[in-house]
Amino acid sequence: MIGLTLQRREQPLPGGQVRAVLAGAFIALLAGAVLLLLSGSNPVDVYLRMADAAFGSERAWSNTLSRAVPLGLAGLAVAVAGSMGLWNIGAEGQIIAGAIGGAWVARVLPDADGVILIPAMLIGAVIGGGLLAVIPAVLRAQLGVNEIITTLMLNEVILRVVRYLVNGIWKDPGGSGFPQAPLLPDQSALPGLFGRANIGLLIAAAVLIGFGYFASRSKWGYELRLAGSSEKTAEYAGISLRTKIMTVLTLSGAIAGLAGGIELTGSSSRLVEGVANGWGFAGIIVAALALMRPSGVALVAVFFGAVQVGGLAIQVSGVSASIANILQAMILFGALAAGVFTEYKLVRSSRSPRAAVAA
Amino acid sequence: MTRSLKTLLSLLAVLGLVAAACGSDDDAGGGDTKAAFVMVAPVGDAGWNFMHDQGRQAAEAATGVETAFVEAIPEGGAEFDDAVQQFIDDGYNVIFTTSFGYMDATEAFAADNPDVVFEHISGYKMNDTNFGNTFGRMYQPRYIAGMAAGAATESNKIGYVAAFPFPEVIRGINAFTLGVRRVNPDAEVEVAWTATWFDPTVEGNAAQALLDAGADVLTMHQDSTATGQAATDAGATFVGYHSDMSSQVGNYLTAPVWNWTDRYTDVINAAKDGTYTPESWWGGMADGVVDIEIPSESPVAAEMQQVKDQIIAGEFDVFEGEILAQDGSVMVAAGEKLDDGAMLGMTTFVEGVIGSAEG
Amino acid sequence: MSSPPAVELTNIWKRFPGVIANAGAELRVQPGTVHAVLGENGAGKTTLMNVLAGVYRPDEGTVLLDGVEHVFGSPADALDAGVAMVHQEFRLIPTFTVAENVALGSAPPVLRRREIEEQVADLAKRFGLQTDPRREVWHLSMGERQRVEILKALWRDATILILDEPTAVLTPAEANELGRIVAAMAADGRSIIFISHKLDEVTRFCDEATVLRGGATVAASLPVSSLDAPTLAELMVGESTLVSQRRVRNNPADPDQPVLSVRHMTVHDIHGIATVDDVSLEIGSGEIVGIAGVAGNGQRPLADAIAGLATPTQGSVRLEGDELGGAGPNVRTDAGLSYVPEDRIGVGLAPRLSVTENAMMRTYRTMGAGPMVDFGDARRHCEQLIDEFNVKTGGLDAPIAGLSGGNLQRLLVGRELATSPKALVAAQPTRGLDVQGVAAIQEVLVAQAEAGLGILLISEDLEELLALSDRILVMREGRIVAEFDAETATRAMVGEAMAGSASKREPA
Repeated sequence: MIGLTLQRREQPLPGGQVRAVLAGAFIALLAGAVLLLLSGSNPVDVYLRMADAAFGSERAWSNTLSRAVPLGLAGLAVAVAGSMGLWNIGAEGQIIAGAIGGAWVARVLPDADGVILIPAMLIGAVIGGGLLAVIPAVLRAQLGVNEIITTLMLNEVILRVVRYLVNGIWKDPGGSGFPQAPLLPDQSALPGLFGRANIGLLIAAAVLIGFGYFASRSKWGYELRLAGSSEKTAEYAGISLRTKIMTVLTLSGAIAGLAGGIELTGSSSRLVEGVANGWGFAGIIVAALALMRPSGVALVAVFFGAVQVGGLAIQVSGVSASIANILQAMILFGALAAGVFTEYKLVRSSRSPRAAVAA
Repeated sequence: MTRSLKTLLSLLAVLGLVAAACGSDDDAGGGDTKAAFVMVAPVGDAGWNFMHDQGRQAAEAATGVETAFVEAIPEGGAEFDDAVQQFIDDGYNVIFTTSFGYMDATEAFAADNPDVVFEHISGYKMNDTNFGNTFGRMYQPRYIAGMAAGAATESNKIGYVAAFPFPEVIRGINAFTLGVRRVNPDAEVEVAWTATWFDPTVEGNAAQALLDAGADVLTMHQDSTATGQAATDAGATFVGYHSDMSSQVGNYLTAPVWNWTDRYTDVINAAKDGTYTPESWWGGMADGVVDIEIPSESPVAAEMQQVKDQIIAGEFDVFEGEILAQDGSVMVAAGEKLDDGAMLGMTTFVEGVIGSAEG
Repeated sequence: MSSPPAVELTNIWKRFPGVIANAGAELRVQPGTVHAVLGENGAGKTTLMNVLAGVYRPDEGTVLLDGVEHVFGSPADALDAGVAMVHQEFRLIPTFTVAENVALGSAPPVLRRREIEEQVADLAKRFGLQTDPRREVWHLSMGERQRVEILKALWRDATILILDEPTAVLTPAEANELGRIVAAMAADGRSIIFISHKLDEVTRFCDEATVLRGGATVAASLPVSSLDAPTLAELMVGESTLVSQRRVRNNPADPDQPVLSVRHMTVHDIHGIATVDDVSLEIGSGEIVGIAGVAGNGQRPLADAIAGLATPTQGSVRLEGDELGGAGPNVRTDAGLSYVPEDRIGVGLAPRLSVTENAMMRTYRTMGAGPMVDFGDARRHCEQLIDEFNVKTGGLDAPIAGLSGGNLQRLLVGRELATSPKALVAAQPTRGLDVQGVAAIQEVLVAQAEAGLGILLISEDLEELLALSDRILVMREGRIVAEFDAETATRAMVGEAMAGSASKREPA
């Protein structure tokens, strides 16, 4: 009986993750071509259409980059926690919490100037996301409660909260009874940049680059890498893991909250239940593709954004939504799965005597 | 990282070039009219989106205009923006957005794209040039459906599974209840809120709760057929919604249904001829946008047919006084009729409804 | 012997990056016997057992069970062939009952709870394993949990059971109980491989013993009845590969000026067992004090507690007379106490970080202004270390995982000395190094002692201790049980104190 097993490579494959991701995505595109042929589409046309929609024009770039903003920030949120071995599955909820925080500021300061209101709303969003993450942070640092469970569960809680706000105490009095929050003040909209991109793109880029720099050059970032590499070594170096867990998880939530604030002020005219729109969960994939390195998140976010924009574009041009979704999922799965082979190799395993003594 | 960064950047650039070179083939197809539809959930085989897709197909056949659609586009998210933008870029110049939550974004697109006609379904916003809204007086067939239900119940309790306490939903419940009590003044209608448009599990549970409370006829304002399933399993009678569900559900009595074909055909033709003028179009049974089939086995079939004829002829009005509210006060005085504004903003139940109109 | 051995491992080689874990190891176990596998930490026992249990594939060598060759692709393959391992860390689900844990993964498709519980109870009864199949595991003591692990193996009809240091977590009474269970299983025709450091248990519970050293078998299938504890200890510790001579020091130690003093220190592990039991010691300026002992007798928690990595239940640590109290590890380093931990990679060094990032671990707090690190400083510091301690690297930014063991240790020792400490705790500083590496580290330690550093040297290499130390303290079961002047001590004397004779074992 012969089977295949994964074996850890003694040294990671040189060339690394980028090569693997692209190879995986390429294999997925080949497999997707079969699917497209079976469903009656011309794969070449479809793929050109995807590339065109994602990168083919200024507007295409603006679409791709606009999506990369929440994807990148959510990915950064997950990666910051992940670089210390913590899993923040709650970015989705923290985005909502951020949007709630931003919307609250807009309710308090409805007449403030845009120059004041927008930064204030973004700060409110950062605080909102951070506050939601404090709960799992404290539970994990003080009591050792698994943060995967708590962050995941809080997603549900905050969803109920936003529902309550939108349907209840924040319901728009001028909305003919429809359960929706009132429109945000006009001056709260983030100024546009080009195409559909607004200055949220600059903010996200600044955060991603600035944080990437800080993480790689600061004492704090060094300690984070140390703790992520080996908790025991970090303790040996005199680093308090509790403090680290607290700050890292809270910061992770704050970054996700910023994503919520940018979505609120940038793409949405009012607080809606669906403000997080799956960005937070997509952020987990982004972070995983970036190998939990904050410095790799931006590129992956652009790649992911392009896949999303391309997936929607082919749907517009007549590929059914389910095929388009399968295609997107295949590309991401291929990229993720291929990443495994930078650290593992496939070997034949055999139960029959003789065969495997070589190696 | 720098090397991999370069690799990815150059790859993105190549992709962009390839796409730019090969893309933009037959986009922006001159002065031809093309119509696009944005749907909030998969088209499926019953329900709100299914009926819109039926209307789309029929309108395509009737007008000879090319149509396309995207499904499963969340409200208030980037997908909507991307999809609509993509349609515009591809030369679509009539765009139907078929979910309430698309209203603000559709308004914004209409302002930015004066050459494209936008018709939003189920909202209340419009402008003077290229943005109107469409809805149907579903309360008319609801009233007739209520008559069938009132005649069918033996326990004098009818269950109503409903999504959210929107004016639209409350109006339907009230019309249905008025129909019930026209033929059976002792019957009551009990409402169970689900807080979701589409969740078969939750809908089924709500239906079961109503059955347990003694209801022997069920109806609903939802997107799945779970209520019908629960009714069938319990041997109760089912009054549907959206579309003819006789093939999917047993013990099926009738259903108030949507039929968008004529309205879509009119809007597309008007856009094609350059005669489109925005309006808040609220069509009734006379326009064909809503309808109901009279079940011949019902003891009140003749009376139902008579009411239907009267409504179509404009001789009967559902919300004509005297109508008492749930708390016994006068909601519509004798001899008065509710105007459209009052109906659109309806937030309280009529006498005979059990449950809270606050959700 | 007419029938083939139950287990026959021949010429097993297993290499890991930078380490040869098994170098031609051999093992022969007869059916129905209890066979001890002995050896120091790092002697290759665990690797060899993992080869037998299907966790690792050997690079070379054959695995024969009952005379038939097997190649295992996974632990499941080994289990199919009847080999089961009871790990030190139990793999049980706390909220499941005993029966559920036992049947987990190998239950029939249709579960009949009552039936399984009865079968588990029968099985337990047959081998004298006292347990209630319906209790949830989290209620159970460590000894009981171990019985559940053994039941799991028996339930899967294992004929060869590997027990990895089974008595480490047990009370003496539970250990005796385990001895009876092992005997019952052997009487049933099964073969038990018993990994242990505790020599008296081997002589009490086992029939034969195989001793590993440096990845190879140095004594195969010795009948334990013919052995006494000191002989076994001698085999395990062996002749040092290095011909260490007593190193002559220019600066005689000054024990009257203690730089480091430990008073009445007791450390409890998470199971509440006192791993360090009322230990007191003093190290003078320029003095090297050796700690001898069979692995697992409290050396590691002692070193951790002195360095501030473990919290002692009681006792004090003073550095030049200043109480260190609850100070954290970095505060201790700044005060002048350095620590070379037993685990170089994973404690002393962070595996995924670069050479520079590892070199700056003790000093980054003062490199650069405010929150930022001056990486220029860090690199200069690292270059200095590399120069001074002759570390061969693939560059300052290369991951340390690529360094050989000797270079890793030079980097680690160099870093710990770069802060100019007054006292150093060095745990197994030369273990696993090649001849040059051992010599380099030993020279550094001696030179530093000459310069006035007080060193606590924990080692399993008796030759090293005899060569470097001024005094040798012997640890057994968490206590200091003997003290020797290294000038006059012999291997035999120290070895005997390490092993402990039966009469000395009784608690005072």
